[in-house]
Amino acid sequence: MSGRLGVALRDPQFWVPVFVLIGGLLVLRWIR
Amino acid sequence: MSVDAGRLRRLQLVGVASGFTAGAWLGAAEAPTKMVTLGIPPVVISLAMVTGVFLARWSLPALLRGSAGIRADVRQAPHLVIWAALAGCLWAVANTLTVFAIRDIGLSIAFPLWNSNSLLGILWGFVFFNELRGAGWGRRLSVLGGALAMFGGATLLAVASSHQAAPGARPMQGVAAALAAGALWGTMYIPFRKAYLTGMNPLSFVTFFTVGELVMMTALALSDRGAALAGDLARSRDVFFWLLCGGFVWVIGDLFQQYAAKYIGISRGIPLSNTNQLWGLAWGILVFGEAGGAQVIGGSLLMAAGAAAIALATATREEHQRWQEAARRESTRYGVDAGYVESGLAGQHAGEARRTWVDWAIILAATAVFVGFAMVARVPELAVHGGPMAVLIVLSLGLLAGTGWALWRVTRFS
Repeated sequence: MSGRLGVALRDPQFWVPVFVLIGGLLVLRWIR
Repeated sequence: MSVDAGRLRRLQLVGVASGFTAGAWLGAAEAPTKMVTLGIPPVVISLAMVTGVFLARWSLPALLRGSAGIRADVRQAPHLVIWAALAGCLWAVANTLTVFAIRDIGLSIAFPLWNSNSLLGILWGFVFFNELRGAGWGRRLSVLGGALAMFGGATLLAVASSHQAAPGARPMQGVAAALAAGALWGTMYIPFRKAYLTGMNPLSFVTFFTVGELVMMTALALSDRGAALAGDLARSRDVFFWLLCGGFVWVIGDLFQQYAAKYIGISRGIPLSNTNQLWGLAWGILVFGEAGGAQVIGGSLLMAAGAAAIALATATREEHQRWQEAARRESTRYGVDAGYVESGLAGQHAGEARRTWVDWAIILAATAVFVGFAMVARVPELAVHGGPMAVLIVLSLGLLAGTGWALWRVTRFS
């Protein structure tokens, strides 16, 4: 699993949803 | 690997049917929530629905396939568990953002903004997963034009169906919340498509998706309500059943949406399941007596025309070969067995359903929770039109049975 997790972390596609999630949480924090 | 023309056509047809069935059931999920009157904080309503979603996402796969099949999928592609949980987190944050968007700018502006998720889905599908590549300009224009027509229709419908008061005093925040929700929901389909190109069964993916969903939703509800959450939940126990039902109906729609994403891709699957707005409106106007008008007819026709354009622009053999290239890339990158990936994409490796005592325990526990809350549920005094409600229920059940049967025949729920 750790090997594949490492692959996921190097997969550029993985970071798109991660950054969008962080952005969404920041927007949520701002509007509350 | 090559999928023969006849099989490809059948897979595309069940994918399109799944998209339309998803729309019907996702739209119907709004009906039980109308049983709930005001006075309950929005995040508590959201949390209660997600609880129903969680129960359904564990019990339905256990019933249809058995947890042994799910464990076999995870052994093949364990990294997808993280992707699924990530997608669940995206869903929960997006859903919460919509509550605040409606509060700040009203449904009529907020809905079309977050409905832009289908346009983002087309972009991600094209950029990351070779969707619409090799499709020819006619099909590309049909999908993009269809999605834009649906976007326009959604705007008309949202304006027509809005009963909100004038926009609140914080328009900037409301617009930001709605756009962010669209971005999160559009991006959520990256993990979906990734999983299905890798060959994973949708019934496996959703069980891990919902863990991220419930954990994130609970965290958001706790941060919003704090210590008051327990009291809020206790006070809402007499309507909890209706919210659980809303969540359950929603999951049925979502399962079909997953199969649409698997067999016709996210660029076509998302817009087709966005027809849920038409069904939500039909329930609102025909069953609950909400106001309609010329704008509703115009918006509905525009949306239906857009959906038809997308449904008719199914993937060609050339495009499907480009999907297979993207699938091979996933197989190589993550070291997943090539045979597993290929047969999954062709909808061929579901295996026989094997249910053990674990599955029956899951099904019994979920049923017990539903029965328990049904026993303390209060039946609200709500005027509904019985005739149209019966018609809509029969139509929805007909789509469920017909598409479910076709999916079983063609893919064995793979």
